[in-house]
Amino acid sequence: MNESVLVIGGGPAGLRAAADLADLGTSVVLVERRNELGGAPIRWKYKTLAPELRPTEEVMDPMIAAVESHPLVKVYRDSVVERVSRAAGNFHITLRTNGAGAREIPVRAIVAATGFEHFDASRDPRYEYGRAANVIGIHELEGMLKESRVVCKDGRKPKRIAFIFCVGSRDRATNPWCCTVCCGVSIKQGIELKRLLGDVEIYNIYIDIRTFGLWEQLYWTSMEEYGLNFIRGRVSQIYDTGTQLLVKGEDTLVRGPFEVLMDMVVLAVGIAPGEGTAQAAKVLDLNCNSFGFLQPRHPNVHYDSGKEGVFLAGACVAPMSIEEAILAGSAAAMQAAKFVREPALQGAAD
Amino acid sequence: MADARAKAEETGRFIVERQYVDDRRIHEPKKLDAGGIDISGRWGVLIEPRTITTFDHTLMRQVQRESGGEFIHRCFQCGNCTAACPTAEEHPMFNPRYFIHVVRMGYSAELENVRKYVYLCASCGRCTEACPREVDPSGVMAAIGTVVRKLS
Ligand SMILES: Cc1cc2nc3c(=O)[nH]c(=O)nc-3n(C[C@H](O)[C@H](O)[C@H](O)COP(=O)(O)OP(=O)(O)OC[C@H]3O[C@@H](n4cnc5c(N)ncnc54)[C@H](O)[C@@H]3O)c2cc1C
Ligand code: SF4
Ligand code: SF4
Ligand code: SF4
Repeated sequence: MNESVLVIGGGPAGLRAAADLADLGTSVVLVERRNELGGAPIRWKYKTLAPELRPTEEVMDPMIAAVESHPLVKVYRDSVVERVSRAAGNFHITLRTNGAGAREIPVRAIVAATGFEHFDASRDPRYEYGRAANVIGIHELEGMLKESRVVCKDGRKPKRIAFIFCVGSRDRATNPWCCTVCCGVSIKQGIELKRLLGDVEIYNIYIDIRTFGLWEQLYWTSMEEYGLNFIRGRVSQIYDTGTQLLVKGEDTLVRGPFEVLMDMVVLAVGIAPGEGTAQAAKVLDLNCNSFGFLQPRHPNVHYDSGKEGVFLAGACVAPMSIEEAILAGSAAAMQAAKFVREPALQGAAD
Repeated sequence: MADARAKAEETGRFIVERQYVDDRRIHEPKKLDAGGIDISGRWGVLIEPRTITTFDHTLMRQVQRESGGEFIHRCFQCGNCTAACPTAEEHPMFNPRYFIHVVRMGYSAELENVRKYVYLCASCGRCTEACPREVDPSGVMAAIGTVVRKLS
Protein backbone atom coordinates (compact mmCIF):
# COMPACT_ATOMS: atom_id res chain seq x y z
CA MET A 1 0.00 0.00 0.00
CA ASN A 2 3.04 2.25 0.27
CA GLU A 3 3.23 2.82 -3.47
CA SER A 4 -0.13 4.46 -3.69
CA VAL A 5 -1.13 7.71 -5.40
CA LEU A 6 -4.25 9.71 -4.66
CA VAL A 7 -5.95 11.23 -7.71
CA ILE A 8 -8.59 13.88 -6.91
CA GLY A 9 -11.17 14.31 -9.67
CA GLY A 10 -12.49 11.80 -12.19
CA GLY A 11 -12.65 13.97 -15.32
CA PRO A 12 -10.53 13.48 -18.45
CA ALA A 13 -7.33 14.59 -16.66
CA GLY A 14 -7.87 12.52 -13.50
CA LEU A 15 -9.00 9.42 -15.40
CA ARG A 16 -5.95 9.50 -17.65
CA ALA A 17 -3.64 10.02 -14.67
CA ALA A 18 -5.23 7.13 -12.76
CA ALA A 19 -5.14 4.75 -15.73
CA ASP A 20 -1.51 5.54 -16.54
CA LEU A 21 -0.34 5.17 -12.94
CA ALA A 22 -2.11 1.82 -12.65
CA ASP A 23 -0.60 0.64 -15.93
CA LEU A 24 2.81 1.45 -14.47
CA GLY A 25 2.03 -0.78 -11.48
CA THR A 26 1.24 1.94 -8.97
CA SER A 27 -1.94 1.57 -7.00
CA VAL A 28 -4.35 4.46 -7.23
CA VAL A 29 -7.04 5.91 -5.02
CA LEU A 30 -9.36 7.90 -7.29
CA VAL A 31 -11.68 10.26 -5.45
CA GLU A 32 -14.62 11.81 -7.27
CA ARG A 33 -17.07 14.02 -5.48
CA ARG A 34 -19.95 13.34 -7.84
CA ASN A 35 -21.60 9.97 -8.24
CA GLU A 36 -20.26 9.30 -11.73
CA LEU A 37 -16.89 9.33 -13.43
CA GLY A 38 -16.08 11.34 -16.55
CA GLY A 39 -16.10 14.96 -15.43
CA ALA A 40 -17.69 17.70 -17.52
CA PRO A 41 -18.11 15.72 -20.78
CA ILE A 42 -20.27 13.10 -19.02
CA ARG A 43 -22.00 15.40 -16.57
CA TRP A 44 -23.16 17.76 -19.32
CA LYS A 45 -23.74 14.97 -21.87
CA TYR A 46 -21.48 16.28 -24.62
CA LYS A 47 -22.71 14.68 -27.81
CA THR A 48 -19.62 15.12 -29.93
CA LEU A 49 -16.23 16.69 -29.43
CA ALA A 50 -14.65 19.56 -31.27
CA PRO A 51 -12.86 19.70 -33.64
CA GLU A 52 -13.97 16.69 -35.68
CA LEU A 53 -17.41 16.07 -34.18
CA ARG A 54 -16.52 12.54 -33.15
CA PRO A 55 -18.77 10.96 -30.50
CA THR A 56 -17.69 11.79 -26.95
CA GLU A 57 -17.89 8.11 -25.98
CA GLU A 58 -14.94 7.30 -28.25
CA VAL A 59 -12.70 9.25 -25.92
CA MET A 60 -14.39 8.89 -22.55
CA ASP A 61 -15.63 5.29 -22.48
CA PRO A 62 -12.23 3.57 -22.78
CA MET A 63 -10.76 5.77 -20.03
CA ILE A 64 -13.69 5.16 -17.68
CA ALA A 65 -13.63 1.42 -18.40
CA ALA A 66 -9.86 1.23 -17.84
CA VAL A 67 -10.14 2.88 -14.46
CA GLU A 68 -13.19 0.92 -13.35
CA SER A 69 -11.76 -2.47 -14.33
CA HIS A 70 -8.15 -2.02 -13.27
CA PRO A 71 -7.33 -4.07 -10.16
CA LEU A 72 -4.89 -1.40 -8.99
CA VAL A 73 -7.45 1.43 -9.03
CA LYS A 74 -9.85 1.92 -6.17
CA VAL A 75 -12.59 4.39 -7.08
CA TYR A 76 -14.45 6.34 -4.41
CA ARG A 77 -17.50 8.15 -5.79
CA ASP A 78 -19.53 10.68 -3.82
CA SER A 79 -16.36 11.30 -1.88
CA VAL A 80 -14.08 14.15 -0.91
CA VAL A 81 -10.71 14.36 0.75
CA GLU A 82 -11.38 16.08 4.02
CA ARG A 83 -7.96 16.29 5.55
CA VAL A 84 -4.39 15.68 4.49
CA SER A 85 -1.45 15.36 6.82
CA ARG A 86 2.12 14.55 6.02
CA ALA A 87 4.30 12.23 8.09
CA ALA A 88 7.60 10.55 7.27
CA GLY A 89 7.34 11.11 3.52
CA ASN A 90 3.77 9.85 3.37
CA PHE A 91 0.45 11.61 3.19
CA HIS A 92 -2.39 10.49 5.40
CA ILE A 93 -5.66 11.37 3.85
CA THR A 94 -9.07 11.39 5.45
CA LEU A 95 -11.67 10.47 2.92
CA ARG A 96 -15.36 11.11 3.47
CA THR A 97 -17.89 9.21 1.38
CA ASN A 98 -21.53 10.22 1.39
CA GLY A 99 -23.42 7.74 3.50
CA ALA A 100 -20.34 5.66 4.32
CA GLY A 101 -18.48 7.88 6.77
CA ALA A 102 -14.79 8.67 6.86
CA ARG A 103 -11.72 6.51 6.36
CA GLU A 104 -7.97 7.08 6.58
CA ILE A 105 -5.69 6.09 3.73
CA PRO A 106 -1.92 6.51 3.43
CA VAL A 107 -0.58 7.59 0.02
CA ARG A 108 2.85 8.56 -1.31
CA ALA A 109 1.83 11.24 -3.83
CA ILE A 110 -1.21 13.24 -4.91
CA VAL A 111 -2.51 14.38 -8.29
CA ALA A 112 -5.07 17.22 -8.17
CA ALA A 113 -7.34 17.15 -11.25
CA THR A 114 -10.41 18.96 -9.96
CA GLY A 115 -11.39 20.64 -13.24
CA PHE A 116 -13.74 23.57 -13.71
CA GLU A 117 -17.30 24.80 -13.45
CA HIS A 118 -19.22 26.76 -16.08
CA PHE A 119 -19.53 30.47 -15.48
CA ASP A 120 -22.92 31.16 -13.94
CA ALA A 121 -24.46 33.42 -16.60
CA SER A 122 -27.11 34.77 -14.22
CA ARG A 123 -24.26 36.82 -12.75
CA ASP A 124 -24.33 38.97 -15.89
CA PRO A 125 -27.78 40.63 -16.00
CA ARG A 126 -27.47 41.67 -19.67
CA TYR A 127 -28.32 38.22 -20.96
CA GLU A 128 -31.52 37.40 -19.04
CA TYR A 129 -30.16 33.94 -18.22
CA GLY A 130 -32.39 32.19 -15.72
CA ARG A 131 -35.24 34.61 -16.51
CA ALA A 132 -35.96 34.39 -20.25
CA ALA A 133 -37.02 30.85 -21.11
CA ASN A 134 -35.14 30.55 -24.39
CA VAL A 135 -31.78 31.84 -23.20
CA ILE A 136 -29.61 28.79 -22.48
CA GLY A 137 -25.92 27.97 -22.01
CA ILE A 138 -23.73 25.92 -24.36
CA HIS A 139 -23.51 23.22 -21.68
CA GLU A 140 -27.31 22.89 -21.66
CA LEU A 141 -27.44 22.82 -25.47
CA GLU A 142 -25.02 19.84 -25.44
CA GLY A 143 -27.64 17.78 -23.60
CA MET A 144 -30.40 18.86 -26.02
CA LEU A 145 -28.24 17.96 -29.01
CA LYS A 146 -27.54 14.57 -27.47
CA GLU A 147 -31.28 13.90 -27.36
CA SER A 148 -31.57 15.21 -30.95
CA ARG A 149 -34.33 17.51 -29.79
CA VAL A 150 -33.74 21.25 -29.85
CA VAL A 151 -36.95 23.23 -29.42
CA CYS A 152 -38.02 26.45 -27.72
CA LYS A 153 -39.66 26.13 -24.30
CA ASP A 154 -43.13 26.25 -25.91
CA GLY A 155 -42.24 23.41 -28.29
CA ARG A 156 -41.67 25.62 -31.35
CA LYS A 157 -38.82 24.80 -33.69
CA PRO A 158 -36.31 27.67 -33.57
CA LYS A 159 -35.67 29.42 -36.90
CA ARG A 160 -33.08 31.93 -35.76
CA ILE A 161 -30.54 31.15 -33.08
CA ALA A 162 -27.88 33.54 -31.80
CA PHE A 163 -24.74 32.37 -30.03
CA ILE A 164 -23.19 35.01 -27.81
CA PHE A 165 -19.49 34.41 -27.33
CA CYS A 166 -17.33 35.26 -24.30
CA VAL A 167 -20.15 35.20 -21.72
CA GLY A 168 -18.43 35.66 -18.39
CA SER A 169 -15.07 35.79 -20.13
CA ARG A 170 -12.74 38.59 -21.23
CA ASP A 171 -14.66 41.08 -19.14
CA ARG A 172 -13.47 42.99 -16.07
CA ALA A 173 -16.98 42.87 -14.61
CA THR A 174 -16.87 39.06 -14.53
CA ASN A 175 -13.78 37.05 -15.53
CA PRO A 176 -10.92 38.58 -17.49
CA TRP A 177 -9.50 35.39 -19.03
CA CYS A 178 -10.37 33.56 -22.28
CA CYS A 179 -11.75 30.07 -21.81
CA THR A 180 -10.02 28.87 -25.03
CA VAL A 181 -12.58 26.26 -26.10
CA CYS A 182 -15.98 27.98 -26.22
CA CYS A 183 -15.42 29.53 -29.68
CA GLY A 184 -14.79 26.08 -31.10
CA VAL A 185 -17.55 24.45 -29.06
CA SER A 186 -20.12 27.08 -30.12
CA ILE A 187 -19.21 26.73 -33.79
CA LYS A 188 -19.36 22.95 -33.48
CA GLN A 189 -22.84 23.26 -32.00
CA GLY A 190 -23.90 25.62 -34.81
CA ILE A 191 -22.93 22.94 -37.32
CA GLU A 192 -24.82 20.29 -35.33
CA LEU A 193 -27.90 22.55 -35.24
CA LYS A 194 -27.76 22.97 -39.01
CA ARG A 195 -27.53 19.21 -39.43
CA LEU A 196 -30.38 18.60 -37.00
CA LEU A 197 -32.80 21.40 -37.87
CA GLY A 198 -32.01 22.14 -41.51
CA ASP A 199 -33.61 25.50 -42.18
CA VAL A 200 -32.27 27.44 -39.25
CA GLU A 201 -30.12 30.59 -39.34
CA ILE A 202 -27.25 30.68 -36.87
CA TYR A 203 -25.70 33.99 -35.82
CA ASN A 204 -22.40 33.87 -33.97
CA ILE A 205 -21.82 37.18 -32.20
CA TYR A 206 -18.14 37.31 -31.31
CA ILE A 207 -15.33 39.63 -30.24
CA ASP A 208 -12.53 37.56 -31.77
CA ILE A 209 -12.75 34.03 -33.11
CA ARG A 210 -10.27 31.89 -31.20
CA THR A 211 -10.40 28.49 -32.81
CA PHE A 212 -6.82 27.67 -31.99
CA GLY A 213 -4.61 25.16 -33.78
CA LEU A 214 -6.40 22.59 -35.87
CA TRP A 215 -9.77 23.73 -34.48
CA GLU A 216 -9.57 26.56 -37.08
CA GLN A 217 -10.95 24.07 -39.58
CA LEU A 218 -14.26 24.14 -37.69
CA TYR A 219 -14.52 27.88 -38.32
CA TRP A 220 -13.88 27.50 -42.05
CA THR A 221 -16.22 24.56 -42.50
CA SER A 222 -18.98 26.29 -40.54
CA MET A 223 -18.96 29.18 -43.03
CA GLU A 224 -18.15 27.35 -46.22
CA GLU A 225 -20.30 24.25 -45.85
CA TYR A 226 -22.96 25.25 -43.33
CA GLY A 227 -23.39 28.99 -43.98
CA LEU A 228 -23.14 30.07 -40.33
CA ASN A 229 -23.26 33.86 -39.92
CA PHE A 230 -20.61 35.75 -37.96
CA ILE A 231 -21.18 39.19 -36.49
CA ARG A 232 -18.34 40.96 -34.79
CA GLY A 233 -19.53 42.78 -31.71
CA ARG A 234 -20.82 42.35 -28.20
CA VAL A 235 -24.41 42.18 -27.00
CA SER A 236 -25.47 44.89 -24.59
CA GLN A 237 -28.96 43.64 -23.79
CA ILE A 238 -31.51 40.96 -24.49
CA TYR A 239 -35.21 41.76 -24.17
CA ASP A 240 -37.70 38.96 -23.77
CA THR A 241 -40.80 39.80 -25.84
CA GLY A 242 -42.60 36.73 -24.53
CA THR A 243 -42.33 34.83 -27.80
CA GLN A 244 -38.95 35.98 -29.07
CA LEU A 245 -35.74 37.56 -27.85
CA LEU A 246 -34.68 40.99 -29.05
CA VAL A 247 -30.90 40.99 -29.17
CA LYS A 248 -29.24 44.38 -29.08
CA GLY A 249 -25.64 44.88 -30.10
CA GLU A 250 -23.33 46.46 -32.62
CA ASP A 251 -21.97 45.02 -35.84
CA THR A 252 -18.61 46.72 -35.45
CA LEU A 253 -17.58 45.94 -39.04
CA VAL A 254 -20.16 48.40 -40.36
CA ARG A 255 -20.47 50.57 -37.24
CA GLY A 256 -24.08 49.45 -37.18
CA PRO A 257 -26.16 49.11 -34.01
CA PHE A 258 -28.62 46.23 -34.35
CA GLU A 259 -31.77 45.04 -32.61
CA VAL A 260 -32.74 41.73 -34.11
CA LEU A 261 -35.30 39.14 -33.03
CA MET A 262 -34.15 35.59 -32.30
CA ASP A 263 -36.04 32.48 -31.25
CA MET A 264 -33.27 31.18 -29.05
CA VAL A 265 -30.04 32.55 -27.60
CA VAL A 266 -27.16 30.31 -26.61
CA LEU A 267 -24.55 31.74 -24.27
CA ALA A 268 -20.96 30.57 -24.69
CA VAL A 269 -20.39 30.45 -20.96
CA GLY A 270 -16.79 30.34 -19.91
CA ILE A 271 -14.69 27.97 -17.85
CA ALA A 272 -14.26 29.07 -14.25
CA PRO A 273 -12.48 27.46 -11.33
CA GLY A 274 -15.13 25.67 -9.32
CA GLU A 275 -15.82 25.14 -5.69
CA GLY A 276 -14.25 21.66 -6.00
CA THR A 277 -10.93 23.19 -6.94
CA ALA A 278 -11.15 25.65 -4.05
CA GLN A 279 -11.87 22.76 -1.68
CA ALA A 280 -8.87 20.77 -2.91
CA ALA A 281 -6.64 23.85 -2.72
CA LYS A 282 -7.65 24.31 0.88
CA VAL A 283 -7.04 20.76 2.11
CA LEU A 284 -3.80 20.42 0.14
CA ASP A 285 -2.64 23.93 1.01
CA LEU A 286 -2.03 24.78 -2.67
CA ASN A 287 -1.46 28.20 -4.16
CA CYS A 288 -4.21 29.71 -6.28
CA ASN A 289 -3.75 32.61 -8.67
CA SER A 290 -5.89 35.72 -8.46
CA PHE A 291 -8.49 34.02 -10.70
CA GLY A 292 -8.83 30.98 -8.43
CA PHE A 293 -7.07 28.47 -10.68
CA LEU A 294 -4.40 26.30 -9.03
CA GLN A 295 -1.06 27.99 -9.49
CA PRO A 296 1.87 25.88 -10.61
CA ARG A 297 5.36 26.75 -9.39
CA HIS A 298 6.24 27.94 -12.88
CA PRO A 299 3.55 29.19 -15.31
CA ASN A 300 4.94 27.08 -18.14
CA VAL A 301 5.18 23.80 -16.19
CA HIS A 302 1.64 22.96 -15.18
CA TYR A 303 2.14 19.67 -13.33
CA ASP A 304 4.53 21.10 -10.72
CA SER A 305 2.47 22.36 -7.76
CA GLY A 306 5.57 23.55 -5.94
CA LYS A 307 4.67 21.22 -3.03
CA GLU A 308 6.65 18.05 -2.70
CA GLY A 309 4.71 15.02 -3.92
CA VAL A 310 1.70 17.01 -5.17
CA PHE A 311 1.05 17.33 -8.92
CA LEU A 312 -1.53 19.24 -10.93
CA ALA A 313 -3.44 18.31 -14.08
CA GLY A 314 -6.19 19.66 -16.30
CA ALA A 315 -8.63 22.54 -16.25
CA CYS A 316 -8.06 23.24 -12.55
CA VAL A 317 -4.81 24.93 -13.66
CA ALA A 318 -6.12 26.85 -16.68
CA PRO A 319 -8.96 26.60 -19.21
CA MET A 320 -8.17 23.86 -21.70
CA SER A 321 -9.55 21.35 -24.18
CA ILE A 322 -10.09 17.67 -23.52
CA GLU A 323 -7.04 16.74 -25.57
CA GLU A 324 -4.93 19.03 -23.41
CA ALA A 325 -6.52 17.75 -20.19
CA ILE A 326 -5.71 14.16 -21.19
CA LEU A 327 -2.11 15.09 -21.93
CA ALA A 328 -1.89 16.93 -18.63
CA GLY A 329 -3.22 13.87 -16.78
CA SER A 330 -0.60 11.69 -18.40
CA ALA A 331 2.17 14.17 -17.63
CA ALA A 332 1.17 14.44 -13.97
CA ALA A 333 0.99 10.62 -13.73
CA MET A 334 4.54 10.35 -15.04
CA GLN A 335 5.79 12.87 -12.50
CA ALA A 336 3.93 11.14 -9.66
CA ALA A 337 5.27 7.71 -10.70
CA LYS A 338 8.79 9.09 -10.79
CA PHE A 339 8.36 10.64 -7.38
CA VAL A 340 6.97 7.46 -5.85
CA ARG A 341 9.81 5.31 -7.16
CA GLU A 342 12.73 7.69 -7.08
CA PRO A 343 11.96 10.67 -4.86
CA ALA A 344 15.45 11.98 -5.60
CA LEU A 345 14.49 12.44 -9.23
CA GLN A 346 11.81 15.01 -8.53
CA GLY A 347 12.77 18.23 -10.16
CA ALA A 348 15.14 16.48 -12.58
CA ALA A 349 13.05 17.81 -15.43
CA ASP A 350 13.71 21.44 -14.49
CA MET B 1 -22.60 69.26 -57.37
CA ALA B 2 -23.57 72.67 -56.03
CA ASP B 3 -27.19 71.74 -56.65
CA ALA B 4 -26.86 68.53 -54.68
CA ARG B 5 -25.29 70.36 -51.78
CA ALA B 6 -28.00 72.98 -51.71
CA LYS B 7 -30.61 70.24 -51.77
CA ALA B 8 -28.93 68.33 -48.95
CA GLU B 9 -28.78 71.46 -46.83
CA GLU B 10 -32.42 71.97 -47.41
CA THR B 11 -33.57 68.51 -46.26
CA GLY B 12 -33.76 68.29 -42.53
CA ARG B 13 -32.46 71.80 -41.98
CA PHE B 14 -34.07 71.86 -38.52
CA ILE B 15 -32.16 68.80 -37.37
CA VAL B 16 -29.54 69.42 -34.71
CA GLU B 17 -26.16 67.83 -35.65
CA ARG B 18 -27.50 67.40 -39.17
CA GLN B 19 -24.18 66.03 -40.51
CA TYR B 20 -24.70 62.74 -38.66
CA VAL B 21 -27.96 61.91 -40.42
CA ASP B 22 -27.84 60.69 -44.00
CA ASP B 23 -30.51 62.05 -46.38
CA ARG B 24 -32.23 58.78 -46.95
CA ARG B 25 -33.33 58.49 -43.33
CA ILE B 26 -35.02 61.91 -43.28
CA HIS B 27 -38.72 62.10 -44.07
CA GLU B 28 -39.89 65.64 -44.51
CA PRO B 29 -43.32 65.95 -46.04
CA LYS B 30 -43.78 69.21 -47.97
CA LYS B 31 -47.18 69.64 -46.45
CA LEU B 32 -48.50 67.90 -43.37
CA ASP B 33 -51.97 68.19 -42.04
CA ALA B 34 -53.17 66.89 -38.67
CA GLY B 35 -56.93 67.06 -38.40
CA GLY B 36 -57.20 70.35 -40.25
CA ILE B 37 -54.16 71.90 -38.56
CA ASP B 38 -51.20 72.61 -40.78
CA ILE B 39 -48.13 71.16 -39.11
CA SER B 40 -45.77 71.43 -42.08
CA GLY B 41 -42.20 72.38 -41.36
CA ARG B 42 -40.03 71.13 -38.51
CA TRP B 43 -42.84 69.32 -36.67
CA GLY B 44 -43.38 66.98 -39.58
CA VAL B 45 -39.75 65.84 -39.86
CA LEU B 46 -39.18 62.18 -39.14
CA ILE B 47 -35.76 60.55 -38.79
CA GLU B 48 -35.65 56.82 -39.28
CA PRO B 49 -33.38 55.13 -36.74
CA ARG B 50 -30.19 53.70 -38.24
CA THR B 51 -30.54 50.54 -36.18
CA ILE B 52 -30.32 47.31 -38.13
CA THR B 53 -33.50 45.35 -37.45
CA THR B 54 -33.00 42.25 -39.55
CA PHE B 55 -30.40 40.21 -41.35
CA ASP B 56 -31.74 39.58 -44.84
CA HIS B 57 -30.03 36.70 -46.59
CA THR B 58 -31.68 37.11 -50.00
CA LEU B 59 -29.13 39.73 -51.05
CA MET B 60 -26.20 37.36 -50.54
CA ARG B 61 -28.00 34.57 -52.39
CA GLN B 62 -28.58 36.87 -55.36
CA VAL B 63 -24.87 37.71 -55.47
CA GLN B 64 -23.95 34.01 -55.18
CA ARG B 65 -26.00 33.33 -58.31
CA GLU B 66 -24.04 35.85 -60.40
CA SER B 67 -20.78 34.82 -61.97
CA GLY B 68 -17.85 35.59 -59.68
CA GLY B 69 -20.02 35.92 -56.58
CA GLU B 70 -20.39 32.30 -55.57
CA PHE B 71 -17.80 32.30 -52.77
CA ILE B 72 -18.91 35.47 -50.94
CA HIS B 73 -19.94 33.43 -47.86
CA ARG B 74 -16.32 32.36 -47.31
CA CYS B 75 -15.24 35.89 -46.35
CA PHE B 76 -14.04 36.29 -42.73
CA GLN B 77 -13.53 40.04 -42.98
CA CYS B 78 -9.76 40.17 -42.68
CA GLY B 79 -9.50 43.20 -44.94
CA ASN B 80 -6.63 41.89 -47.03
CA CYS B 81 -8.55 42.72 -50.22
CA THR B 82 -8.97 46.36 -49.22
CA ALA B 83 -5.34 46.51 -48.14
CA ALA B 84 -4.25 45.33 -51.60
CA CYS B 85 -6.72 47.44 -53.57
CA PRO B 86 -5.34 50.45 -55.52
CA THR B 87 -8.79 52.03 -55.79
CA ALA B 88 -9.36 51.89 -52.03
CA GLU B 89 -6.07 53.67 -51.61
CA GLU B 90 -7.44 56.61 -53.60
CA HIS B 91 -11.10 56.60 -52.67
CA PRO B 92 -12.31 56.62 -49.05
CA MET B 93 -15.76 55.28 -49.95
CA PHE B 94 -14.40 52.30 -51.85
CA ASN B 95 -13.81 49.26 -49.64
CA PRO B 96 -14.32 45.73 -51.01
CA ARG B 97 -14.29 44.14 -47.54
CA TYR B 98 -17.07 46.49 -46.47
CA PHE B 99 -19.23 45.88 -49.57
CA ILE B 100 -18.88 42.14 -49.04
CA HIS B 101 -20.04 42.33 -45.41
CA VAL B 102 -22.94 44.65 -46.22
CA VAL B 103 -24.17 42.13 -48.79
CA ARG B 104 -23.28 39.07 -46.69
CA MET B 105 -25.48 40.30 -43.81
CA GLY B 106 -28.15 41.84 -46.05
CA TYR B 107 -27.88 45.48 -44.99
CA SER B 108 -29.91 46.77 -47.96
CA ALA B 109 -30.30 50.34 -46.67
CA GLU B 110 -26.54 50.67 -46.33
CA LEU B 111 -26.03 49.13 -49.78
CA GLU B 112 -28.27 51.90 -51.13
CA ASN B 113 -25.92 54.44 -49.56
CA VAL B 114 -22.77 53.00 -51.07
CA ARG B 115 -23.99 51.39 -54.29
CA LYS B 116 -22.57 53.97 -56.65
CA TYR B 117 -19.05 53.39 -55.37
CA VAL B 118 -19.15 49.69 -56.22
CA TYR B 119 -18.50 50.57 -59.86
CA LEU B 120 -15.19 52.23 -59.06
CA CYS B 121 -13.67 48.72 -59.08
CA ALA B 122 -10.98 48.50 -61.77
CA SER B 123 -11.16 44.69 -61.95
CA CYS B 124 -7.40 44.57 -61.54
CA GLY B 125 -7.62 41.38 -59.47
CA ARG B 126 -5.10 42.33 -56.79
CA CYS B 127 -7.65 41.63 -54.06
CA THR B 128 -8.22 38.14 -55.39
CA GLU B 129 -4.49 37.44 -55.28
CA ALA B 130 -4.35 38.66 -51.67
CA CYS B 131 -7.44 36.92 -50.30
CA PRO B 132 -6.51 34.08 -47.88
CA ARG B 133 -9.87 32.33 -48.18
CA GLU B 134 -10.26 32.25 -51.95
CA VAL B 135 -13.36 34.43 -51.91
CA ASP B 136 -12.39 36.01 -55.25
CA PRO B 137 -13.35 39.51 -54.07
CA SER B 138 -12.76 40.91 -57.57
CA GLY B 139 -15.41 38.54 -58.93
CA VAL B 140 -17.67 39.34 -55.97
CA MET B 141 -17.40 43.07 -56.73
CA ALA B 142 -18.54 42.43 -60.29
CA ALA B 143 -21.39 40.25 -59.04
CA ILE B 144 -22.50 42.90 -56.53
CA GLY B 145 -22.41 45.44 -59.38
CA THR B 146 -24.70 43.24 -61.44
CA VAL B 147 -27.13 42.68 -58.57
CA VAL B 148 -27.25 46.38 -57.73
CA ARG B 149 -28.02 47.15 -61.38
CA LYS B 150 -30.77 44.54 -61.49
CA LEU B 151 -32.31 45.85 -58.28
CA SER B 152 -32.60 49.42 -59.52
C1 LIG C 1 -19.85 23.41 -22.89
C2 LIG C 1 -18.45 22.91 -23.06
C3 LIG C 1 -18.18 22.03 -24.09
C4 LIG C 1 -16.90 21.52 -24.26
N1 LIG C 1 -16.67 20.74 -25.34
C5 LIG C 1 -15.39 20.35 -25.59
C6 LIG C 1 -15.06 19.68 -26.79
O1 LIG C 1 -15.92 19.46 -27.67
N2 LIG C 1 -13.78 19.31 -27.00
C7 LIG C 1 -12.82 19.59 -26.06
O2 LIG C 1 -11.67 19.24 -26.27
N3 LIG C 1 -13.11 20.22 -24.91
C8 LIG C 1 -14.36 20.62 -24.66
N4 LIG C 1 -14.63 21.31 -23.51
C9 LIG C 1 -13.60 21.42 -22.47
C10 LIG C 1 -13.59 20.16 -21.57
O3 LIG C 1 -14.84 20.04 -20.92
C11 LIG C 1 -12.46 20.25 -20.57
O4 LIG C 1 -11.24 20.38 -21.26
C12 LIG C 1 -12.32 18.99 -19.72
O5 LIG C 1 -13.54 18.62 -19.15
C13 LIG C 1 -11.28 19.21 -18.63
O6 LIG C 1 -11.06 18.01 -17.95
P1 LIG C 1 -10.66 17.97 -16.42
O7 LIG C 1 -10.51 16.57 -16.06
O8 LIG C 1 -9.51 18.87 -16.18
O9 LIG C 1 -11.88 18.65 -15.62
P2 LIG C 1 -13.42 18.21 -15.44
O10 LIG C 1 -13.96 17.63 -16.65
O11 LIG C 1 -14.08 19.40 -14.85
O12 LIG C 1 -13.35 17.07 -14.32
C14 LIG C 1 -13.04 17.35 -12.99
C15 LIG C 1 -13.68 16.32 -12.07
O13 LIG C 1 -13.21 16.51 -10.74
C16 LIG C 1 -14.31 16.43 -9.84
N5 LIG C 1 -13.96 17.22 -8.66
C17 LIG C 1 -13.83 18.57 -8.62
N6 LIG C 1 -13.45 18.97 -7.40
C18 LIG C 1 -13.34 17.85 -6.65
C19 LIG C 1 -12.94 17.63 -5.30
N7 LIG C 1 -12.59 18.65 -4.52
N8 LIG C 1 -12.92 16.35 -4.86
C20 LIG C 1 -13.26 15.33 -5.67
N9 LIG C 1 -13.62 15.48 -6.95
C21 LIG C 1 -13.65 16.74 -7.44
C22 LIG C 1 -15.47 16.96 -10.64
O14 LIG C 1 -16.70 16.50 -10.11
C23 LIG C 1 -15.19 16.39 -12.03
O15 LIG C 1 -15.73 15.10 -12.19
C24 LIG C 1 -15.88 21.86 -23.34
C25 LIG C 1 -16.14 22.74 -22.31
C26 LIG C 1 -17.38 23.32 -22.19
C27 LIG C 1 -17.56 24.40 -21.19
S1 SF4 D 1 -12.70 30.85 -26.51
FE1 SF4 D 1 -13.81 32.35 -27.77
S2 SF4 D 1 -15.82 32.56 -26.77
FE2 SF4 D 1 -14.44 31.61 -25.28
S3 SF4 D 1 -13.65 33.34 -24.08
FE3 SF4 D 1 -12.14 32.90 -25.71
S4 SF4 D 1 -12.70 34.25 -27.39
FE4 SF4 D 1 -14.47 34.19 -25.97
S1 SF4 E 1 -10.34 44.17 -58.51
FE1 SF4 E 1 -11.46 45.96 -57.75
S2 SF4 E 1 -11.66 45.59 -55.54
FE2 SF4 E 1 -10.06 44.19 -56.30
S3 SF4 E 1 -8.14 45.25 -56.00
FE3 SF4 E 1 -8.78 45.73 -58.07
S4 SF4 E 1 -9.98 47.62 -57.89
FE4 SF4 E 1 -9.78 46.78 -55.82
S1 SF4 F 1 -9.33 39.30 -48.38
FE1 SF4 F 1 -10.88 37.72 -48.72
S2 SF4 F 1 -11.44 36.97 -46.67
FE2 SF4 F 1 -10.31 38.90 -46.42
S3 SF4 F 1 -11.93 40.48 -46.30
FE3 SF4 F 1 -11.29 40.36 -48.44
S4 SF4 F 1 -12.67 38.86 -49.38
FE4 SF4 F 1 -12.86 38.63 -47.17
